[in-house]
Amino acid sequence: MATFEVTALRQQFGGRAALSLDALAVREGARLAVVGPNGAGKSTLLRLLAFVDTPLSGSIALEGRPVASAADRRQARQRVTLVEQRPYLFRGTVLGNVAYGLRARGVNAVEAGERAAAALARLRLRELAGRDARALSDGEIQRVAVARALAVEPVALLLDEPVSGADRAAQHALFEALAAEQARRPLTIVFASHLLEDAYRWADDLLALHQGRASPVTPENLFRVDLPGGAPMQTVNVGPLALDVMTDRQGPATLAIPPDEIVLSTEALHSSARNVLRGRIVRVAEHGAAMRVTLDAGIELVALITRKSFEEMGLAVGGTAFASFKSVAIRVF
Amino acid sequence: MSAPAGEVLGIAVLSLKIALAATVLACLLGIPLGFFLGWTRFAGRRILLALLNTALALPTVVIGLLIYLLLARRGPLGALGMLYTWQAIVVAEVVLALPIATALSAAAIQAVDPRVRRTALTLGAGTLRTAWTVAREARFALLAGVVVAFGRVLSEVGAALMVGGNVRHETRTLTTAITLATSQGDFGLAVALGLILLALALTVSVLIQLLQGHGDV
Repeated sequence: MATFEVTALRQQFGGRAALSLDALAVREGARLAVVGPNGAGKSTLLRLLAFVDTPLSGSIALEGRPVASAADRRQARQRVTLVEQRPYLFRGTVLGNVAYGLRARGVNAVEAGERAAAALARLRLRELAGRDARALSDGEIQRVAVARALAVEPVALLLDEPVSGADRAAQHALFEALAAEQARRPLTIVFASHLLEDAYRWADDLLALHQGRASPVTPENLFRVDLPGGAPMQTVNVGPLALDVMTDRQGPATLAIPPDEIVLSTEALHSSARNVLRGRIVRVAEHGAAMRVTLDAGIELVALITRKSFEEMGLAVGGTAFASFKSVAIRVF
Repeated sequence: MSAPAGEVLGIAVLSLKIALAATVLACLLGIPLGFFLGWTRFAGRRILLALLNTALALPTVVIGLLIYLLLARRGPLGALGMLYTWQAIVVAEVVLALPIATALSAAAIQAVDPRVRRTALTLGAGTLRTAWTVAREARFALLAGVVVAFGRVLSEVGAALMVGGNVRHETRTLTTAITLATSQGDFGLAVALGLILLALALTVSVLIQLLQGHGDV
């Protein structure tokens, strides 16, 4: 059974459409990454799934049951918990914060304290229990907020940019703890991220959002541009670069360069590809049998290549590489 | 008007009693009202807040006059026989302090981080617990409002004089006693009473600073 089933969900703020999602099903036990640039509607979607905001229209079903009225949402909030991008810890101790949701469910103070301490231990935060919640570092606040959300044993945990600002070790620790929690009991996790590496490293499903809508392409290599128009072959400015793109359109548009359409090489290629960019490799992530290589060429480009090619070319972070792609490979929407 | 030490003490105690009673009553009404105004969104809320902010500047003699007309023997509440009693002063001071308690509470609630409400909700708190959590997060700002209201009531003279009548042993407060002593040329007594009032006001201001210091934590 799906944990969430979303149908024709719409949300707007100040008359501006913030989210328009026709359909989404999140199966039980899934790890869904919601990816997209800032302002794509990720947080809006998470707050709707957490039932803390009311949609303009459309419906969300939780575990097969439609959540429509305010009373439904109040009940649903007992089973779904959201950790915001910048979590808020209440005044008081860390333990008091983690016990909050249990106390709200009528659990007595002693048992709530014990269960909160256990949740802290699962996040390896036991030593923080007695600390003043206002005296923690950002990374600690983030992990305490996750422990606080997990303490109530929700059926679904929603995380908004859970590793933004965290260092690599902290990111790893958090994802490890979440995986351990999923191994322990049924738990659906939906997390928003503007970093695709997080999504590919950790999620088993992906929803790409762009300007509030599900995007047909994965949202890496997306660039807002102003198309000059005039000819089908246009030269358009993207950051400090000029790219050749085939389109009849004119005016504001979004360019998408699919990562698997980018050829990486150690020397500039003389080929039919109109766009050849030189850059420095800034990140490398494994993606199944493939490698996701992020190249800083004045703009950040993500290329997807086979592990074999990656190894044969001897690519590494800090090294130089050339990215080539045809003008017709660039999608315009 | 020379006054024995016992009488001065009595005046100080009465002033404190009136100020405390008026503050408690004003806050019992004003904090929930302010919470409602700061928490909910409804048509006309902005107008209400604007009116409330205007009421902050209500001259105390106007309040005194209104309460006088209400409580005067031929007034609508004349039958209560409250004019020239310390309770009448309390009523006037409540009218004075209510807008302060309400406006400052509304501002305190409005200033609470919106994440507090969302966090309480997502952790499964009901409406009451969520409201209580928001109030808890705003408690230093709410307390500061209480202290400001207390300070205002304690130092008020116009309304106290008009509806209390400055009756010796009955409705004479520190401020009305200072007014009388000054008019009678008894500057020694006026200064002594003024020092007591200053000491009380200073205590109030120290309390505010302590609270605000706590609020930063």
